Amino acid sequence: MQAVLASDYSFAQFQYLRRLLLVHGRWSYFRMCNFLGYFFYKNFAFTLVHFWYGFFCGFSAQAVYDQWFITLFNIIYTSLPVLAMGLFDQDVNDQNSLRYPSLYKPGQQNLLFNKRQFFLCTLQGVTTSFLLFFIPYGAFSAVVKEDGSNFSDQQTFAVTIATTLVIVVSVQIGLDTHYWTAVNHLFVWGSLIVYFAILFSMQSYGLFGLFPNNFPFIGAAYNCLSEKGVWLVILLTTTVCVVPGLVVSFLKVDLFSTLTDKVRYLQQSRKRHGPQEQSLRRVRRTSSRRSGYAFSHQQGYGELITSGKNMRRSTVSSACSLEKTTNGSNWIGNVLKRKNEVSCSSQEFIAAPEGNSSATKTPRQQRTD
Amino acid sequence: MMASSYNAKDEDGHHSGSVSHGGAGTAKSKKPDNTAFKQQRLPAWQPILTAGTVLPAFFVIGLIFIPIGIGLYVTSNNIKEFEIDYTGVNVDSPCYTCANNFSWNSTTSCSCTVNFTLEQPFENNVYMYYGLSNFYQNHRRYVKSRDDRQLNGDATALKDPSNDCEPYRKIGVETIAPCGAIANSLFNDSLELYYVEPSGALNAVPLAKKGIAWWTDRNVKFRNPAGVDLPTAFKGTAKPVNWRKPVYELDPSDPDNNGFINEDFIVWMRTAALPTFRKLYRIIHKNQSSTSTLPSGRYVLNITYNYPVLSFDGRKRMILSTISWMGGKNPFLGIAYITVGSICFFLGVVLLIIHHKYDTRSNSADIPN
Repeated sequence: MQAVLASDYSFAQFQYLRRLLLVHGRWSYFRMCNFLGYFFYKNFAFTLVHFWYGFFCGFSAQAVYDQWFITLFNIIYTSLPVLAMGLFDQDVNDQNSLRYPSLYKPGQQNLLFNKRQFFLCTLQGVTTSFLLFFIPYGAFSAVVKEDGSNFSDQQTFAVTIATTLVIVVSVQIGLDTHYWTAVNHLFVWGSLIVYFAILFSMQSYGLFGLFPNNFPFIGAAYNCLSEKGVWLVILLTTTVCVVPGLVVSFLKVDLFSTLTDKVRYLQQSRKRHGPQEQSLRRVRRTSSRRSGYAFSHQQGYGELITSGKNMRRSTVSSACSLEKTTNGSNWIGNVLKRKNEVSCSSQEFIAAPEGNSSATKTPRQQRTD
Repeated sequence: MMASSYNAKDEDGHHSGSVSHGGAGTAKSKKPDNTAFKQQRLPAWQPILTAGTVLPAFFVIGLIFIPIGIGLYVTSNNIKEFEIDYTGVNVDSPCYTCANNFSWNSTTSCSCTVNFTLEQPFENNVYMYYGLSNFYQNHRRYVKSRDDRQLNGDATALKDPSNDCEPYRKIGVETIAPCGAIANSLFNDSLELYYVEPSGALNAVPLAKKGIAWWTDRNVKFRNPAGVDLPTAFKGTAKPVNWRKPVYELDPSDPDNNGFINEDFIVWMRTAALPTFRKLYRIIHKNQSSTSTLPSGRYVLNITYNYPVLSFDGRKRMILSTISWMGGKNPFLGIAYITVGSICFFLGVVLLIIHHKYDTRSNSADIPN
């Protein structure tokens, strides 16, 4: 009990270790690496815009964004999508994780997050920040509104770059998410909607009336985002920021596909072509797992095997009756029972009801081991 | 030691159930619920990057961006713009004497005249801008040096502005209205435009000074303090250090354009994002008759040179421009769209070739187990 209390994970039977490692452990590693990579990318893209701006503002540390945007960016606008990705993302479903244990190798070989991957995330973040700043810079150096009035002011610049940033990181997490549950959809689109809602409400007349010095961006969002030119800038910047990552990912999957990619592709094509293939495979495999053990101290199970009884449902009772004979044959009974389970479950039968006697025996045996 | 079933967990539940059989009616199992959410089986969309999705996307992006870019570039080329630098750096420029003889204490203002010729007539509304170079309105200390409450007409802030305005907050005991460095550096050159008739007579071009600021700025953000009239409202305050006239004399002819709501003042207070910027100065509305707003020919620009820029190596210029739906003349966006569209299309072609030549998409047969 003390060991259980002191440990991160504890489980009652050794067989649980298989699922814990191959499914949950692997998923956990995959999610953590995705999460980390994306988080570094997002924050580099957000922060390094100020580095580029420094060259044009006399290195006076003038912020590009509205102060409120800086506060809320990591709390509200981008926290939930990445949380959903860290909780729900799966590259391969659990059955395939168990079926292809080699998928566990990237975790052992530290492939998904190492110095090289970190460098690539950082590079992507720096490039995104560069494009995020310089494309609006080029567009804004001489731009005016449709009615001729000024447009290249600090606040419009801030709103444009902030909006572009939120859209770019949302599109990027959309491309990084492998498993879109309803929660992911809600968080990603919801974050975008919340961004626009907060933007317009904070730069409206009401809040300015209450606290003029804290909400100086009054009217900026409305004047800025009602210009077609600004939306063209946002579209261009988003495309330019996202396309290189897309090209690299596509080439990796196409030319250097890993086992994970192959299994994912298989999974998708299986889903399309239906489950008949699966059950055929399973039956074939179980039939190869016949027990070939020989026992010299007793008659052995030749008769049992050749009669084919252990392949059928009715052999459950015979397995139970075998239990009552000796302690040592218990595990053979369990092997047979497991085979029954597998062959039965492929056709979605209820798992064979093991006799209570076997159930009570097994934990006691484990404790004595 | 391979135990067979998951009954051990049930047994744990039963054990705890049997212990608490005297208590609650039903024994609570420690097994997590078998719901889709908790067992991570949520229905999900699992997109995969295949050639069938990525390559058409690139071609679509290319096909959309290139026409947009061409449209933007053609529109920008049709915009007419004329720019003339009147700083007076060279000895032979008209404003050389004014530039070099500038003194803060002079009571008479210096005037200079610049002649120029418009090759093409300007149609529709023509917008006159003044442009400044090497003027860092985006310096952090400069940007925060204002009090928006005072500019909103708040009576307490008029006499007691925020400390951000330092050192332009008080002169002696009187507070400065409007306080801060941004207001203090208000652009105060006067520009007048005359058309030289073929006969040689000078014809003044009507310059409209209302409608140059944002509607939200003019009507919500900036308000005059309450008072019978403006001089009374601003009683007890001092004019900014570098101004020649107090704020309630910015436009004595029009009470709607005087005080804090003077549109030139509002336009100046909207700080620019970059060190080279232009701000709207006047609008030349289009003629009711069919003649062009600014016919081609010779023009005379009369400048009242009040604003010194040579001390920090700045430059001043006057710009005349027509506008379109996407703003002023800015070929950057058009060229950028064409470039990005072509690159995407080219990438699509390259990826298609690579995909066809080196496709290593394996089928399920060679997945190692």
